[in-house]
This record gives sequence, structure tokens and C-alpha cells, in this order.
Amino acid sequence: MALSNGRGNNSNTTVAARLQKELMDLMLHPTPGISAFPSDENMSTWTATIDGPSSTPYESLILKLSLDFPANYPYAPPVVQFKTPIYHPNVDFSGRICLDILKDKWSAVYNIGTVLLSLQSLLGEPNNASPLNGQAAELWDKDPAEYKRLVLARHKTPEELDA
Amino acid sequence: MASDDELAHLQKLSSEYEPEATGPLVGERQSSAAITTQYANADPVFQVKTAALPEKYAYFRTCRGDGHCGWRAIAFTYFEALLRVGDVSKFADEEARLLSLGNLLDHAGYQRDIWMDFAEEMTDLLRKLAESLQLMNGVAADILLNTFNDMGTSMAIITYVKLLASAWVQTHADDFTHFVPMGDVKAYCANNIEPSQCEADNIGIAALADALVKPAGFGLEVWYLDRSPGEEINRSFYAEPTDHHQLPIPNAPMLRLLYRPGHYDILYKAGDVPQRIQQQPIPPQPPLQVALASNFDDFVPTASNVGDVMNMIPGMYPSGFGQRWASLSYEFSPSPTSQPQVTPVQPYPSAATPATPVSSSSLDFLIPTHSNPASQYNPVSHHGLHLDQPPVTLPIHPPPPPPVNIERAAPLVIERGGPFRPSMYELEPGFGSVMQAQPFQTSIFRNSHFNTAHFMNPDFQPEEWSPDGDYATGNKGRHKSHSS
Repeated sequence: MALSNGRGNNSNTTVAARLQKELMDLMLHPTPGISAFPSDENMSTWTATIDGPSSTPYESLILKLSLDFPANYPYAPPVVQFKTPIYHPNVDFSGRICLDILKDKWSAVYNIGTVLLSLQSLLGEPNNASPLNGQAAELWDKDPAEYKRLVLARHKTPEELDA
Repeated sequence: MASDDELAHLQKLSSEYEPEATGPLVGERQSSAAITTQYANADPVFQVKTAALPEKYAYFRTCRGDGHCGWRAIAFTYFEALLRVGDVSKFADEEARLLSLGNLLDHAGYQRDIWMDFAEEMTDLLRKLAESLQLMNGVAADILLNTFNDMGTSMAIITYVKLLASAWVQTHADDFTHFVPMGDVKAYCANNIEPSQCEADNIGIAALADALVKPAGFGLEVWYLDRSPGEEINRSFYAEPTDHHQLPIPNAPMLRLLYRPGHYDILYKAGDVPQRIQQQPIPPQPPLQVALASNFDDFVPTASNVGDVMNMIPGMYPSGFGQRWASLSYEFSPSPTSQPQVTPVQPYPSAATPATPVSSSSLDFLIPTHSNPASQYNPVSHHGLHLDQPPVTLPIHPPPPPPVNIERAAPLVIERGGPFRPSMYELEPGFGSVMQAQPFQTSIFRNSHFNTAHFMNPDFQPEEWSPDGDYATGNKGRHKSHSS
């Protein structure tokens, strides 16, 4: 008996169906402060935004992200990157993010909404124990004013990004 | 010179490297003698334990070691046990039960619209299998295997059973709180059961036994193969099949897993397997040539001045092969009561060279023995030598404890209908358990791999002559082969 290796079209249609469902859900039940929409027709890459949470250095900033979905989503996490330059202990200067649920703690019960909400809370509660940006981790506690200055200095609005 | 960034990246790649798992997600059922073979050159503890394995667990099935194998093995065997029961209404019962377990998932805080996707693959498979059973089209087992080898569907089912396990642990926190760090079952599930990449651990398996396996009337056991002292694999987990009143259910299907550190496969007893599938195709045997020589003096010129019986045997004299035989201390007698049995320790490096003149000069005795076992008892050849030419070169292993092996080797003779067992790799394990009524043994070589009935002996066929039973063994062997 021939055994399929399971990497055929079937799994791709499963991914598309699942993402279609997530899109419907995001549009029917929008969550304030986050948005996401596919940026190509086969839905494997998405563009998302999160609003910086209030009473954090990121307050009133809008941050753009890209989500890249692997063929075995939701059994593997999407690759998520900040497109907006961001100064944060757990994000490097290319926008790569260090967050456990996007790595080994990823679960198939997470979806785009839960990922974006997790990132939003990461902005206000960085994990300074394992920073990608050591300076930011240090300044977070030591010098909030300088931290805020560096955040704003690095930030670009979506309009500036597109220009 | 690489920058720190690059070095960090390389370090990260190297620490995250895992060899890509290969093979089918769930393999075909195969003889568990393959496991014995796999460990033939391993640590002696493994050799002993795996040598004893096929006798109790005749078959096994591999699961791909991609980090999901434990969950996969339980889910697969759960469906397989349902098929073994073969009751169409049981599938409907299980579907209804799983539907009601949705409350458990809701209660654990999982979004219904997300877990429904996974649950639907589970109920879809239940329906497909039930339909196949109802139509009696005989493809249910194939549907099951194919479904589990489809990555998308099988991952959905695996995810569903993991969520079920996680929800069970969280809603039965009292049962598990003492077994998880800090007693925090919620955090434990989030870190050890829910993540897509996490292997089944004891808590997950215990939860699944309670949530999925036992309510279906099945039992679950995990057998542990490691290097701990002992002669057999140990049972590391056991969930007894019980009914609603906690009374044991006799003859309930058991789900059996084989655990090797970091990996799960599926085990079967011979009785777990439906009879029609148990008939494994026997590959065609290359014909074995046996030369029976009566006029051996021509070939062994030194026979007259050496007392060793080896010298009486054509083609067997040490100088003929450049091999040093251990002196065998059995009695040689010209009467048919004692068949000389000589067993080389390893296959002849060049058996053909001295043997060819023997066979060509005594063509009358060139008999395909397996077609006519009784010919061995021909008085003409009773003190002749059986020279065979092994078709394959077999590795030589230090002999494990022998009683097991003798019992396994003997039934093979009957299975084939002739006295020849050309290769130890063709053992039909589990057959031994059926045949234990007549363990094959001889008085002299019982514990030795010189015994032709010993499974370490790659070359010679077992022979038995019983003064009371006359030629009973040979007749029985033929009879069985014709009736099977």
C-alpha cells in the first residue's frame, strides 16, 4: 500500500480553509487594538497591526507586523516579524521576536487573534530575563525616560513606512 | 571572521538541530523479530530483552519519531481496537461520547470553533470506519492506516486527543496536582500537553487512558525497553479495562505501546491480530541443496588416522575450509538412533569448493530435503553428512539464554512443512506460543547453538528421532504444511 507522506495538496487546502475561517472570525468579531488581513491571494502571508497599549512607552503607536504561515499551520507557528522598527527587549533590530508561544510552546489552539494579543501584552510586559536587545532590557528598569525616547526615536508611522 | 551575530545564529542552528524523522507516520504491522534483529549487535541487556520480545508480542508497528509518536500510537490503537471489536453501533456510541466530551474542552477554556475542526476529523474517521464495517468491504484497516499517514488529518486527530488529555487533567486537577511541578495543572498542560511539539508523557498518557481509552472498554499498557537489569521489557504503565462498576472486563482489547526512551511504537500479541491478516506472505525460498554422501572416504583421505568424528564427514575436515572446528563430543553411531548433527559456527566462506565434487559424484543423493522430510531417515544416509550452502551470510551473535530460542525455532519447521529454516530472519514469532506443547529439544545439544534447532544456528535443520513416536516429527511437519 502506498503511504502518502502527508505533504501534498491536502494539507495546503487545510491551511487555506483554516485561515479563511480565521479571517471570517476577525472580520465578524473585530478585537479593538488589533487587525489582520491577508496580503496575498493564497493567504499564506498576512499583514497585521497592533496598537501600543496605554500606559506603556508604546502608547498611541501603531505597529505593523507580517505573519508567514507554514504549510503545516496550525501545527506549526506562523513566522511573525515587526515591520515597524521597534525598540523592545525581546525584538531584535530586524524585527524578529523572541516569544515562547511563537516557538516551542506553540499550540494548535492558538490563532492569529491570540498571537496578536500576546504580542500586545509583550509590549507592556517584556521578558527581560532573556533579551534580544540587552540595552533595552537594562533601560526598561533603570531609565524609563531614556527608554521612551529611544522607542519614539526608532518608531515610524505606517505612512512613513510606506513612503 | 564571523560576526557575533552570525556566530550566535550558527550556535542557535546547531542547538536546535534535530535529524529529520523519516518513515511512514504509522507503519505496516510487522513481525517483532525485526526488533530483535535491530538490537542484535547492541548491549547484551537489549539483546536479551528483545530476544524474549517476539515470543510474547508477535507484532509491532512503527510510528514516526517526530515528537508526536506517543499520541499517534494511542489514537491509532484506539481506532484499531474499535475495529477489532467490529461492532458498528460501538462507533456511534463513541461518536456520541466524544461529542459530550466537548463540554470538557469548553470547560478547560478552549474555543469551540477552533477545537471543532480537530474533533470533526476524529468523528469523520469514526464514521468512515463504521461505514466500511457496515458494508463489510474489508477496507476499514486500510482507511485507518491511510488516514493516519495523511499529515493533515492525523495531526488534527492527534491535536484533538491532546486537547482531550489536557482538558481531562485540568478538570480532574485533584488527581494530577501532586504529580506536576508546584501543583499547577493549568501551567503544566500549557507547557507539556498543549504545545504542538511535545511528546506524550506519563501524565498525558494517564489522562488519555481515563478520558478516551477506558470509557470505551479498552485497556492501555506501555512496555518499557531500556537497559535496566532484567530479561524482559517492563510494564511502565497499565490501565486495566473496567466497566462502569470498576469491574475488570475479561478479554477486552488492550492497547499496547512499546516505549524506548524518547519514542513510542505499537505492540501486538499474536491474539490481538485478526487471523486473516496474520497470514503474512512467506517469501519464496531459494532451493537448498543438500548433498548426502555415502562414500565419504574418497573425500577425506585422513579419515583413517584421526579419531575425531569430524573427519568422517566429507568436506568438513578443518583443512578443507581453513576453519578450526571445536571438537564436538557427541556420539557417532551407525544406527539410526543417532543422527549426526554438525553445525558450523558461521556460514562457510567458500562452501562450494569442496562440496561440489561431493554432490556431482553422488547425484542420487542430491535431494531437496524440504520437499520430502522423511528422506532424512533413509538408512542409507543416516551417517552421511548434510552439506548445505547457505544462501545468505548471517551475522553471528553471542548466544542469548537459550530456552526461549529453542521454542521459537522449533515451530518454524512445522510452519514450513520441511525441516529447513534458511534464515533466522524469517522467524515467525508468536508461532512459538501456539506450539509450546511440543518444544523441540534434543538431549545433547539442547543449550547450544550447535543445535540445529537453535535459532543462532544459521545452517542446519533440526532433526528428531524418537524411538516411541517413530517418524512422528517428520510426518507431523508434512501434515501441517499441507493443511495450512
